[in-house]
Amino acid sequence: MAQEQAGLTRRDFMKGVGSVALGVTAGLPSTAFERPGQADTSRVVLIRNQDVVHGVRDTDGALVQQMLDDAMVALFRLADASECWKQIIRPDDIVGIKTNVWHYLPTPPELEQAIRRAVLDAGVSEENIALGDRGILQNDIFRRSTALINTRPMRTHSWSGVGSLLKNYITFSHPPDYHADACASLAELWDLPITKGKTRLNVLVMLTPQFHNIGPHHFDPSYTWPYGGLIVSTDAVAADAVGLQIIQQKRRLVFGEERPLQPTAHHIALADTQYHLGNADMSKIDLVRLGWEEDSLI
Amino acid sequence: MALTKMVLSSAILVGCGSQDSPSSMDPLALLPEQIDGWTRSDSVAIYDRETIFDYINGAGEVYRSYAFELVWVVTYTSPESPAVTVELFDMGNPADAYGVFSYSREREEAGIGGGYEHRGSVLCFWQNRFYVCVASEPGTAGSDQALVDVARAVSAELPPGSDRPNLVRLLPSEGLVPLSERFFHLHPTLNYHYYVARENLLNLNIGTNVALGRYQPGDTYLLIVSYENESAATNARLSFRRGYLPGSGSSRVVATENGRFVSLLSYSRFVVVVLDAESADQADRLAQDAVNRLYDSLDWGA
Repeated sequence: MAQEQAGLTRRDFMKGVGSVALGVTAGLPSTAFERPGQADTSRVVLIRNQDVVHGVRDTDGALVQQMLDDAMVALFRLADASECWKQIIRPDDIVGIKTNVWHYLPTPPELEQAIRRAVLDAGVSEENIALGDRGILQNDIFRRSTALINTRPMRTHSWSGVGSLLKNYITFSHPPDYHADACASLAELWDLPITKGKTRLNVLVMLTPQFHNIGPHHFDPSYTWPYGGLIVSTDAVAADAVGLQIIQQKRRLVFGEERPLQPTAHHIALADTQYHLGNADMSKIDLVRLGWEEDSLI
Repeated sequence: MALTKMVLSSAILVGCGSQDSPSSMDPLALLPEQIDGWTRSDSVAIYDRETIFDYINGAGEVYRSYAFELVWVVTYTSPESPAVTVELFDMGNPADAYGVFSYSREREEAGIGGGYEHRGSVLCFWQNRFYVCVASEPGTAGSDQALVDVARAVSAELPPGSDRPNLVRLLPSEGLVPLSERFFHLHPTLNYHYYVARENLLNLNIGTNVALGRYQPGDTYLLIVSYENESAATNARLSFRRGYLPGSGSSRVVATENGRFVSLLSYSRFVVVVLDAESADQADRLAQDAVNRLYDSLDWGA
């Protein structure tokens, strides 16, 4: 399989071969409570609130907390959020909250703190919790971690198509090692000793997602929009696949034509078809929608 | 000199010697101390090929796919306006300064350096071996004019000369979609602009130069690749034929599954590829036109 995919050409996609091989449905290559293999289906909760953001880096902390709680209840189908957290975090866990500090579109501190509070409420002692992004390989909590919570904003990315949950683990290694072929092998990051089997929850931040790159840092706020969403799942691949659909639909609406991501985000589909980390096929994703429905784009 | 991120003060840099090598260049000498009501900070942050990821997350690979050496970052402040940041990228040579400018360019205006793009709160231009970006916090009153003023003032201090790479100038002009020209070196960049294959069928590497243009009618792409020598070009042509046009023998034009046409030619140390042409005739004419221009221009050292 790997050998075949290494040679996939544009013509294979014209024939439909590439779509099958990469598990995408149209055009060019477009789309984790850890477990040993893929589940048949993955539940993903998309929750939105039109008042949660007032702009990039302007987030209502109380509403974000409520959204996260509601999403957890919908994801685990338990009576309240604290019970849900206890399903995935034990009091003796050492928990790394893998966030993202990118200056232009960081994980909102309000969300980071909501996650941290939930982990504390699950009984983990404060000294066994760390929030981090760069430098986590030198962080003792991350090095000793028994559980990881993965959260970051969704954005288009000039080298991997999108920067989302799968890519968020790149600081667990030497980033350039994973840059080949538009970061096709990002799923391998989830098999490193420091990450393997540890991820208990993924929260893809869709509050003000970025859908296009311009400028020296490949960011301009005019290419973000107040979507007001969180995508929550134990399957990072499935959460990313849902987020990717939304980004692609936003690009169609804004540009008035099919504008494939540059480069294509095929690492998400490959995480499913080649690495079997999770489900990228939308027919295998149980998408639960909560809250604001207008312009959900999916 | 393997630099990590450094913050230098003007006092340290005073008296630095030659401007020829980037590591010894005084960036503050290239950046005016005062621009109208703006005052330059005394400190400059420097990032090199290894530390660029500390400053530019993700897009760092874009710069590293060219001959990028260093970026200097300084801030201009004004009592009445939000700060303006100037990023001075030393791209190693003018072709790569143009290349990184062309990478994601969607519009272009003349009047600053070799051309500039002003979108949102960022204005970027290229000049000589430099790619320069001036940015303000978005939505600030008067910031658009401030960006232009600062960019013009920086441009005035940089070495002149902004000729586009010869290879780009060799793209035939008839039917060329304005602003579609790109210049680059590597396979991932080709796939960024036009996905060909996961495998590097054209054997692109940091030593190859590539000019890409989009043509009308239709949505046709022309690729001209310059290799180190004729042997490398021949190998690349054969590799592309094997990988992308299997079973096509030595045909100059091959029909593809989407009803379009591909043409493949090589001449001297160049390979020419036309992709997604509307007709066999268009594919053949465009490729031949490019080869003719290469033939006429070899003494440019393209």
